[in-house]
Amino acid sequence: MKKIALAVAAAFAAAAGTGSDALAQEKTVRISGFGAKTGVIRLFGINSEAAMLAAAEVINKQGGVTLADGSKAKIVVDFLDDRCNAEEGISVIRRIYGSDAAVAVGPTCSNVAEPLYGILQKRVDDKGDSGLQMPVFTDVAIKGGLAKISEWSFRNVPSEWTMYSSLYYWLKTKHPNLKTVYGGVEEDFAHSRASWYAVMKDRALANGYEVMGESKWLLNDSNFSTQVREMKKANADILSVAAHPFTTCGLLKEMKRQGYKPKLLVGLTSTSSMEVMQGCPKDVEGMIIPTSYAPVNKEAKFAADQTAKYKGSADLHSMAAWENMFILKQVMESERISGDKSQLQADRRKIRDGLAKLKETKGLLGVTKRTEDREADKPYLFVQAQKGEWKVLHNPL
Amino acid sequence: MLDFLQVVVDGLLFGATYALIGIGFTLVFGVMHKINMTYAAASIGGAYLGLLVLKVMAGAPAWLVFLCGFLGGGALGYVVYLACFHFIPYSSPLATLMSTVGMLLLIDEIIVHATEGRPLNYPAMFDDVMLRAGEFSLRGDLLLVFGVSVACMAGLLVLLYRTKLGLATRAVSQQPTAAQLCGIRIARVNAVTFVITGLLGGIAGALIGASVGTLSPLLTLPLTVKGLIVTVIGGLGNVPGAIIAGLLVGAFENVFQLWRGVTERDLYVMLLLFVFLVFRPGGLSSKN
Amino acid sequence: MDFYYGMAQLIGVHTLLGLSAYIVLLTGQVSMAQAAFFAIGAYTAGMLTVLAGWHIVPALGASSILGAATACAVGFPALRVKGLMLVIATLAFGEGVRLFFFNFDYQIAKGNIKVGPLGGEGFRQIRYFPENGWTTFDVMLFIWLFALAAMAVLWWFDRSRYGAVLRAVGEDELAAQSVGVNLTAVKVSAMTVGGAIAGVGGGLYAHYTTHIEHSSFNVLVATFAIAYPIVGGLSNVFGTLAAVIFVQAFLVEGLRDLGDWRNLLFGALIVLAMNLRPHGLFGRRHA
Repeated sequence: MKKIALAVAAAFAAAAGTGSDALAQEKTVRISGFGAKTGVIRLFGINSEAAMLAAAEVINKQGGVTLADGSKAKIVVDFLDDRCNAEEGISVIRRIYGSDAAVAVGPTCSNVAEPLYGILQKRVDDKGDSGLQMPVFTDVAIKGGLAKISEWSFRNVPSEWTMYSSLYYWLKTKHPNLKTVYGGVEEDFAHSRASWYAVMKDRALANGYEVMGESKWLLNDSNFSTQVREMKKANADILSVAAHPFTTCGLLKEMKRQGYKPKLLVGLTSTSSMEVMQGCPKDVEGMIIPTSYAPVNKEAKFAADQTAKYKGSADLHSMAAWENMFILKQVMESERISGDKSQLQADRRKIRDGLAKLKETKGLLGVTKRTEDREADKPYLFVQAQKGEWKVLHNPL
Repeated sequence: MLDFLQVVVDGLLFGATYALIGIGFTLVFGVMHKINMTYAAASIGGAYLGLLVLKVMAGAPAWLVFLCGFLGGGALGYVVYLACFHFIPYSSPLATLMSTVGMLLLIDEIIVHATEGRPLNYPAMFDDVMLRAGEFSLRGDLLLVFGVSVACMAGLLVLLYRTKLGLATRAVSQQPTAAQLCGIRIARVNAVTFVITGLLGGIAGALIGASVGTLSPLLTLPLTVKGLIVTVIGGLGNVPGAIIAGLLVGAFENVFQLWRGVTERDLYVMLLLFVFLVFRPGGLSSKN
Repeated sequence: MDFYYGMAQLIGVHTLLGLSAYIVLLTGQVSMAQAAFFAIGAYTAGMLTVLAGWHIVPALGASSILGAATACAVGFPALRVKGLMLVIATLAFGEGVRLFFFNFDYQIAKGNIKVGPLGGEGFRQIRYFPENGWTTFDVMLFIWLFALAAMAVLWWFDRSRYGAVLRAVGEDELAAQSVGVNLTAVKVSAMTVGGAIAGVGGGLYAHYTTHIEHSSFNVLVATFAIAYPIVGGLSNVFGTLAAVIFVQAFLVEGLRDLGDWRNLLFGALIVLAMNLRPHGLFGRRHA
């Protein structure tokens, strides 16, 4: 409806000849977002788009981006839906490449990110590599180690390795009487799987915990009786679950049925969202999750409020998109992009180089370090599910 | 040993959910001879419609939600009939197959739209009841599901073999032209049977939602596959067979999981299906 | 332009997928296993170019042969089941193959990284095309070489006695048998040809997405495989092509501006199409 109304208004404006000089000469720089806006995971795309639009509005109100020749350009945002499908994601990035977008922000799904990074040029200036030369600055897709696939791909996602390392360390100091850990993992979801084996398990061991094993299930599963019995038998102090809201809720409900309650529950980063609160608010009570966003300071609250104006909610994923917008503005200005459509590819290259040069960026919670393989080391804090909401438990900052 | 038996019992009990959805599948595929790929999606859709009760009456009891799911399923059954079976000629089974696939995608998408993709909490009855039988613990709510399956089976058998409608249904599915010649209005009979299987699907969806505790469109595809497997193993059109097959599949699933882990579990379920297809294509109670 | 070449690539690969189901559908068999042969082709070609360093053409040849061989092996037991049971059996086979790849690890070290399929994580970095400097246009032409070849072969079948025999079996098995048609040979050969086409399609899919995993070959893909020929109509190969263009170019990309509504229209339009034209866009053969 909004789109139709806007189109009609634009048509009237054009017809009425209100094309004043200023309007005709207004410079714009396009940033295209993309991700899943439909399907079960549509909230990721919807929230990211809202965050990007909100950030663009703030940047534009402050004057916009300063171009190389000193003039200002407004940031224009559009968002394409890739439906969490690899082929469609590739079509979308090609579409973005063919448009006047200077940089792309996305995708939301790791199973799209991996093939998508694969079609990008692996090393810049490799004349023999016909991969796409488009800078992609990812906000959400969180599966470990992806950005190193291409020198055109960059990510602003939290390092689960760092966060869980810190979490287990903190738990050890705060609850020295808890000594054992048992895991629960969604085996067929790459992110969950990697998060348990390579991160949670590894970091728990590194912090002196005894890891008694793990129970496995699949992402569509709904019967957890065997797994919960295994957990009961292991009777570890801490249960660490690497799964998404649907199976996490199923597991927790089965635990309640069998009367099993570990002393402490640790969850997966992406579970610290509203979906779990709608799926099983009572059962998730007490779960602790490390996250790279909570509205703990003025900026973070401001970002959340602005995003809410565009009907999105603020969480670690969408707020990464918000941060990306400001980082990109900074890079565009420091690299002095021309904003001239005839120099689009040169501008894209400048943005890529600028992103590669960054050693640190400004995040909502504090300074984020950039790593050698184009990933981010973001500040984080720990939240806990309390009475249907995620409340800040401990802020290491 | 005790562990193994508990695993089997857990599996059998969860299999009651497969049994319940399997009854509808076997009815649709076996008695009505309709390839209705939408069935599980419409059942889950019915369950979602049941949740609308909670919007109107915040603290509504679980049984009311189930009742609403039951009725919602029936309504959806009629919609599926209209969209996929009423207008498409009998001579195009491929077209009905594809239209039911389109309908499945549509129903799933409507659910995602309405719920923004979020899983929803589903009320349950007896979900905190765990019966102890010696060393074993049995889920009370699944026993309820089993009870409902048996009740549905009894009701269906009465309907099919002791009522005029049942007679008409069987006539229409076996010999549509002859049935028409006898004055049976095919369209009406089909519509009614779709509503009845829809009602069945609605209660199945609601109870499955209650057993899982959370409702999500992620349930649709696995339920469709399980429903088809149960239909084949139980025998096309064999309602008691579907119940036994459902329990069996549930039990075997758990055993395979215990034995070979969760990543290979479904592979063995497929192999089980193949064994039946090769050696007992008529299902559990085949005369072969 | 890149976008349009990319779309053409996608349409080409999906046409191969659809054609692999088309020929099997002609004999009256609804096979939900085409995604499995597609998967086998994908992993085979990927492993040959990445792990063994083969050139893409022999790699695709191998994936075609492997696809054909598996299909042939499936074709024989498939004879024993009819109608719905065949749908379920092939669906189960397809899921079985997907689960096999879900558990399949085969990595070797290349330099200081490990390459190859890694179970649930998938098979990444199948970068034969970009590494060898193939442009989007080059890849498009390459894919269409195979798509057109498959279309030509099937078109030629349709014009030959073999095609008539295939359709005869599809229309009425008993009648065909009574005029001396060898049902086994016809059905298994159709399955085999379908497997060969799917194998090539899969190999191309692996290379143009550069990353494959078990979930890239799920029930939905198997459903699309039969959807294309059914929606397009079984009268000739162009029906399948038309259906692929209808779905991928119109429904998926064309309706993109409708945002949310796109997905809803997807299912709704398929239902509508089947109600309005039950014999497919290009209708039924009137022989």
